[in-house]
Amino acid sequence: MKEVRCIKTNNEKGCGLCDATWGEYYREIDGDRMFFCCNICADIFENMVKEVKERTGWDSIDYIELIGNYSKGRECTAKSGDRTYKYYFRTYSDGRMMSFEGRN
Amino acid sequence: MLYCPVCYEETAKSDFESLATHFLSDSLKNDGKHVSWLNRNISKLKLNNDELSKQLMNFYHVGNDGIKMWIIRDFIQLFRGVNPHPFILGMQEYDVPLLKGYVVEHHHFLKQWIRSCSYAMAKTDLTEVHDYEIENIVTEMHGYGSNAPSHHELLIRMGESLGLERKEILDSKPLKGTQEAIKIWQKIASEKSTMEIMSAMHSLELIANRDLQRYGAKYPYFNPEMLKSPAVSDEVKNFLREGYEADVSHSYQALSIIQEHCNPDNILDIQSAYLVSSRAFFTFLESRIERGEMYKNQQ
Repeated sequence: MKEVRCIKTNNEKGCGLCDATWGEYYREIDGDRMFFCCNICADIFENMVKEVKERTGWDSIDYIELIGNYSKGRECTAKSGDRTYKYYFRTYSDGRMMSFEGRN
Repeated sequence: MLYCPVCYEETAKSDFESLATHFLSDSLKNDGKHVSWLNRNISKLKLNNDELSKQLMNFYHVGNDGIKMWIIRDFIQLFRGVNPHPFILGMQEYDVPLLKGYVVEHHHFLKQWIRSCSYAMAKTDLTEVHDYEIENIVTEMHGYGSNAPSHHELLIRMGESLGLERKEILDSKPLKGTQEAIKIWQKIASEKSTMEIMSAMHSLELIANRDLQRYGAKYPYFNPEMLKSPAVSDEVKNFLREGYEADVSHSYQALSIIQEHCNPDNILDIQSAYLVSSRAFFTFLESRIERGEMYKNQQ
C-alpha cells in the first residue's frame, strides 16, 4: 500500500516516477515519505523536484504528470495551486540529469 | 553456470529459482540496477519468487533458431527497438558535439576491443576463431596500409574534422561509465572462455548492423542521410560508412561461430556474458552522450 503524500503523480500503482511495484524504497520529498521502486528513481524524482522549484520559484508542488520513459525522456506538467509548469527531462542510468528543458 | 545479469555474481544453484531469490534478497530488492533490469526485461509489476523464476526461465529460453537469434532479439530490444538507447536517438540527426563524444569515448573502447579479441584467440585452438579475430584486430586498430586505414585511424580523422586535436583524443581519460564498462569487458576477457568473450564482444557489433530492420529494429544506427549531406565532412562519412558496411557480415559471422560451439554445458555462461556485456555497453553509450554534453557546454 502506498503512503499518502503531498506531491501526487499520475503513477498511482507504484513508484512515483515509473509506476513499477518492485522494491520497498521510501524517501522524504518535501516533508513527506514517498514510495519508489529503487534508490535511482528516488534520486531522479528528488533532483527533478529541486530543478522545477528552482526554475519556477515555487515553495511546493501539488501534482506532477509524467509521460515517457528512460529512453525518450519524460514530458511533464507540474502543478502548484492554479499554476502549471511544463518541462521535459531525461537522465542517465545512474540517475544524474542528462537534459532538462522548460516547455512553457 | 547461471550468473546474475546485473552484478555477474554466481547463483547459488545455477538455476532460475536461485536467480529470483538473488533479485528479491533484502540487500538488492531496492537496488536501482537490479530493479531497473527487472523493469526493463521482465515486468514492472512485482512478482513473488515462483512467478519471477518462471519469467526468468522464459527470458533465458532459447528457441529452435538458437543462441544467435536470442542475442539478436535481446540486443534489438535493448538498443534499437521501440524504446531505443538515447545515443541511437541522438544519432538520427547530425550532432557535432555528440560525434565528438563518440570519438573520444570510442577511442578507449577500441583499445579494450583488441585486448578482448586477443584473449578470445589466446584461449582456443579453433582456426576459424584465430582467422576471425586476427582480421578483426587488424581492421579495427592496424589497418591495411595507407589506402585502407584502421577504424581507429578513421575515428581520429573524424574527430579532427570536427575540431578535436589528435593529441586530445589520444591523451583523454575515459569517463566513469566507460571505465566501468572496460573493467567488465576486461574481467570477461581475462577470466572467461573464448565463446563467452566472443558473445560478450561481437554481439556489440550489432549496434551498427543495418540488416537488423528485418528482425524488428525500429531505428538505424544513424540517419543514413548523413552519408549524403554536404554539411557532413568526408571524414565523418568515411568513419560512419566503414562501420555501417563492415559490421553486417562481422557480427553475424561471430554469432554463427558461437552458435556452432554453444551446447547445454556452456549456454548459460554464454548468455550471462552477453547480458552483462550488453548492459555495460548501454552505460558506455551513455558516456558518449555525456562527453558530447561536455563539448556542448563548452560552445
